[in-house]
Parts: sequence; C-alpha cells; structure tokens
Amino acid sequence: MSIIIISSDSYEKGEEIAHNAARALDYACLDRELLAVVAARYGIPQDRLEWALESSPSSWGRSARLQDRCLAYMQSTTLGELLKDNTVCHGLAAHLYVVGISHALRVRILAEPVELAREISGEGEVPPERAPRFIDRQRKLRQHWSLTHYQLDETDPSQYDLVISLSQIHTDEAIKIIAQTAGYRRFAPMTYSLRCIKDAELASRVRAGLLEAYPKVKVRAEGGTVIVETQGSRRNKLKKAAAIKEEVQAMEGVDYVEVHIKNGLFKRAP
Amino acid sequence: MRDPIKIVVIDDEPIVGERLKAMLVRDGHRVENFVNPLKAIDRLQETDFDIVITDIRMGEMDGIQVLEKVFEKSRHTRVIMISGYATLDLAKESLTKGAFDFIAKPFKLKELRNTIKKAVKSLDRANEQSASAASA
Repeated sequence: MSIIIISSDSYEKGEEIAHNAARALDYACLDRELLAVVAARYGIPQDRLEWALESSPSSWGRSARLQDRCLAYMQSTTLGELLKDNTVCHGLAAHLYVVGISHALRVRILAEPVELAREISGEGEVPPERAPRFIDRQRKLRQHWSLTHYQLDETDPSQYDLVISLSQIHTDEAIKIIAQTAGYRRFAPMTYSLRCIKDAELASRVRAGLLEAYPKVKVRAEGGTVIVETQGSRRNKLKKAAAIKEEVQAMEGVDYVEVHIKNGLFKRAP
Repeated sequence: MRDPIKIVVIDDEPIVGERLKAMLVRDGHRVENFVNPLKAIDRLQETDFDIVITDIRMGEMDGIQVLEKVFEKSRHTRVIMISGYATLDLAKESLTKGAFDFIAKPFKLKELRNTIKKAVKSLDRANEQSASAASA
C-alpha cells in the first residue's frame, strides 16, 4: 500500500479526485483541513498558512521569512501524517517535498481549460478565447512560487509519475487509472523507502523547530543522525553550534547531532 | 511446528555474511552463506530455498542477476536485496523485477528481522493458497 500525492492546476478538481480516489481505495485523505493542526501546533494563524501556499513569493525580508516558516511547518506536519501510509494527499504542496520516496505516487491533474479559467478568474463564465491568457498567468505564478521555495517547477510534467488531462479523460476514469497505478509493485513500500520518508520527516521537523531562530538553516537526517548547517560569524560559531546541538538533541527521534556553522556576512578577507 | 526456514545469504564482504548468518541461526533458521554469487547460484540450482538475501554490487555477478537466476528456478523464493549504494532507481528496479524488499546498508538487524518475518508470512500465505487450490 502506498501514498498518493495529487497535484492539480485546479484546486477544485484536485480536491474532488483526491477525495474520490481515497474513498475508492479505502485510504485516508489528507487535505487543507490539516492546516488547523499546523496552526495550533506552531501558533500561526491558519489564513497565514493559506497565504503562504497561494501567494507569490515575497521579496521583502520579514515577509519572505514568514512564508518560509509557514511552508516548513506545513511540510513537517504533512510528512508526519504521511508516515502512516495508505493516504491520498492533496493541497499541501507535498508533490514538492515528497521526492525520492518510491512508495509515493505523484499525480498531476490538468483541468479542462475553460473550467480552469473560470476557477482562476473567479468571474464565472470566461469566454474560451480569453481562457489561455488566464491559465498562462496562473501557470507562471505557480512556476515562480515552486521554484523559489522548493527549487522544482511544479508545472513540469517530468516531476510526476502520472499526468492526466481532464480534457481527454473523465474524472471517474482518472480515479480508476490512479488506483490501478498505485497497485503497481514499484509503488509498494519497502524498508528503504520507509526509511527515506522517516529521514525526510525528521529533517523537516528539526528544520521547522530551528527556523525562527536560524532562518538560513539547512537540515539532513540519516537514521537518527541529524546534520545541521547554518551561517554565523567566526566569533559566535562555537556558542551557536552548542546551542543548536542542545536544542536538536532534545527532539524526538534524534540519536546524534552534527552542526556545521559556515561563515556568514562578516567573513574575514582572505 | 514448522520446518526451519532455509535462507541463503550472498555478500562479497565476508563479515556481513558471517554477522547475518549468526543472527539468523540464532533466530532458528537454517542458513548457508556465500561470498561468491556464482557458487551461490550453483547451490540454488541443487536445492530450493525459502529466502535469498543478496547484496547488489558484487564482483562476479550483481544482485539483480542473482534475482533473475533465482526466479528462473523458483518463483516461490522471496528475494531480499541489500545495498550500500541504494538509490531510488535501483530500489524501483528491484521491486519491479520481483524482489520482496530492498534494504539500504548500513541497516539495523531489527529491520532485517522484520523483513524476514514478513517474508515468512507471505510464504505461509502462498502455501495455504496452493494447498486450498489443490484440494478444490
């Protein structure tokens, strides 16, 4: 049994297919209802989390940092839920961070263009000749957003295991195709892929815990070993490393911590 | 009480095979250990084994070839791949070709034990199915 991640250019269609696929397979469905859990866990208003998922990347310092933090909090909570397996996930940008995990089937749903233009414009009916303009603008926005936050282009079909165009395939047929593909042996969980998602969850949880104090922090996890990398001046390097080590060591699932502080803004001239 | 599970371990690093053999024998299994995959294949032609645990990157023959050879002889055998060079593509290829599980090195003995337990359950299920098909 596996994880199915549904991404779509249409929120409505993605949501409909995710819920129906979950029902057909008797899987749990993970969607934006999870944002209430994230908001409570990290003390961030839910509308800020939605803003982080939808808005253009901010170029202003504080706002950009807040958007980063909101996305990190969502990533950590979503990955925690995905450890449970047998889940369809939609609307939480998981297709951009559940990468390299073989039991996660990543699906892209392309909505019918005129319907998509109506959804994006929020104006009701859109004349078919104006639809491409709306869609193109939205596509560029999502491309910029995903590249900025995850260094991946979510509009690129090669990022997915399966791409379904609803111009050609009916919604019910799409669900059958997804269910059938999820049953392929290559999407079955194995010890290696379960370890990969566990590592991803631990790394994202540690990063989420450190991000407010250390906005440039990067984290990797292998088994229970956590490797933290951030910036700092030569003067406070040791103090900073010790503080991070102490904080991370206390987190659940962490056996060993390695901290690397790279010289930041005040580098000494060579 | 069931017969002991017959397991073959193939790894070109002798220490890995010895360590696994010691653990598996302690758990009550009957184990044969090979550092040369060609010799292991010869042995697999002579006798049916329930489980094969094989490394992937080896000198004479890689683990994927071992998997294919095992299945030529018996589809019943459960093959567990272990690798110090685990990648997403290798893991997917192994599963697509019929491996029962794929484990990255270094691994905890507990992880391998869990996989063996699952493999034994899957063998029991397959045996029950073929027994009920035969009696029908």
